[in-house]
Amino acid sequence: MKNRIDELKSNISETFELPKDIVMDLPKISVIGNIQVIISNHKGIIEYSKETLRINTNIGVIKITGSDMYLKTILTEEIIIAGTIEKIEFLY
Amino acid sequence: MLAIKLWNYFKGYVIIRVEGLTLEKFINLAVNKDIYLWDIKRIEYTVLEGKVSIKGFKLLKEVVKKVGCRVYIIEKNGFPFLLEKLKKRKMFGFGFLLFIGLIIFLTSFIWNIEVVGNEKILDQEIIDFLEEIDITTGKMKYSIDIDNVKNQILDNFNNISFASMEIKGTKLFIEVKEQDLPPEEIDLTTPCNIIASKKGIIEKVVAKNGKSVVTEGDIVEKGQLLITGVIKDEMFEKDMVIHADGEVFAITRYSHIIEEPIEKEVKEETGNVLKRREIKFGEKGIQFIEGNIPFKEYIIIDETKSLLKVLPIKIVTHEYREVELNKIKQNIDSLKIRSQVLAVEVINKMLPENSKILSKDVKHTIEGNNLITVVVLEVYEDIGEKQIIYNEED
Repeated sequence: MKNRIDELKSNISETFELPKDIVMDLPKISVIGNIQVIISNHKGIIEYSKETLRINTNIGVIKITGSDMYLKTILTEEIIIAGTIEKIEFLY
Repeated sequence: MLAIKLWNYFKGYVIIRVEGLTLEKFINLAVNKDIYLWDIKRIEYTVLEGKVSIKGFKLLKEVVKKVGCRVYIIEKNGFPFLLEKLKKRKMFGFGFLLFIGLIIFLTSFIWNIEVVGNEKILDQEIIDFLEEIDITTGKMKYSIDIDNVKNQILDNFNNISFASMEIKGTKLFIEVKEQDLPPEEIDLTTPCNIIASKKGIIEKVVAKNGKSVVTEGDIVEKGQLLITGVIKDEMFEKDMVIHADGEVFAITRYSHIIEEPIEKEVKEETGNVLKRREIKFGEKGIQFIEGNIPFKEYIIIDETKSLLKVLPIKIVTHEYREVELNKIKQNIDSLKIRSQVLAVEVINKMLPENSKILSKDVKHTIEGNNLITVVVLEVYEDIGEKQIIYNEED
């Protein structure tokens, strides 16, 4: 049932050329070089240290590994992580 | 980014240190409560540092209770805290305001008047005139009506064709343009005589209008009548007055004497300099003297600096430069030529336009130590000058 709704949403967004992250309520991740990651539409932090960061989203957990990372900004909609980024993983 | 930083500074923020076990929970709860946190750094597993606005910090109390961690303020930053500090140091704030007020007060006066663009009129003349209409240094600059003063300058000085005034900071800047006044033309209907403008021997008289009263070979003095505009005739009851016109050519002499010592004393600086300062209050001065001047022969160069034009305090620097006197004997022949050239140059400046040099006479005489050079030039020129006849009945 849920899959069918998602499929419908995906089709609608494609036909009307609407951004998928808004229609399907997905996180949007922008990476600037290896120094900054911006994640919009998150659902909170699970783990936070200088080396690993785990962020909860609708599609699962995003794990970011790196060094000297810190949270530049944290808002209900958006997280900006700065530091040296090495890996971005999706954990389901 | 800078704008956000400035905004944060203006609103004020605190750097906090949070100690506890479930710090992720602390962050998530704070975010859910719409508390803006930034620059969050994990120092250790149980320690976290971040920045939060003053408003946000007050809201954090509930979060802290729920999570069960401790929050300390490490640093207070921003404008509201600065204001708080200033409230405790009232005199400092007062002094600061006084300082700004004083600067505004002092810059509202004119401290300096500068005149630019004048060639014939002296700066002092314009400044004196400004003083007459009550514009001097030390006057409030807001009370000056620039347009009015500009017009007054234009009215008072006939040969100023343009004036602009500008107040730049504490300086009153006056720019003027002078115009060349054309020589006064005498109207052709105005009766006039032609008189001699200088002494000379008449060579040729061309009377276009009027009657010439001198003939060739006459020696005329300055101001003597040459062509008269008054016609006397027995036929008329009254004398007829006309506008005399014509040219009177005459031979005139110009001379110049130059006296030059053959043996000259030349002062040469040895490079030894002694400086002394003096502070002058009006006419009285205090000199800072350190011993006598150790030079036999010296020249004094004074330099005066005034701190403020309004205050009568001046700093005078006396500079004593040691000199050596050397006697130099000059070559008489070259000195003769030099004096002659110099004299001719001086005379050339006096000669009017359209004049012809007829002869040049140079005489050198030696009197004691001096060489005297006399240069006499004979010049052929128009010496006529118009002079209006004023009717006595008018």
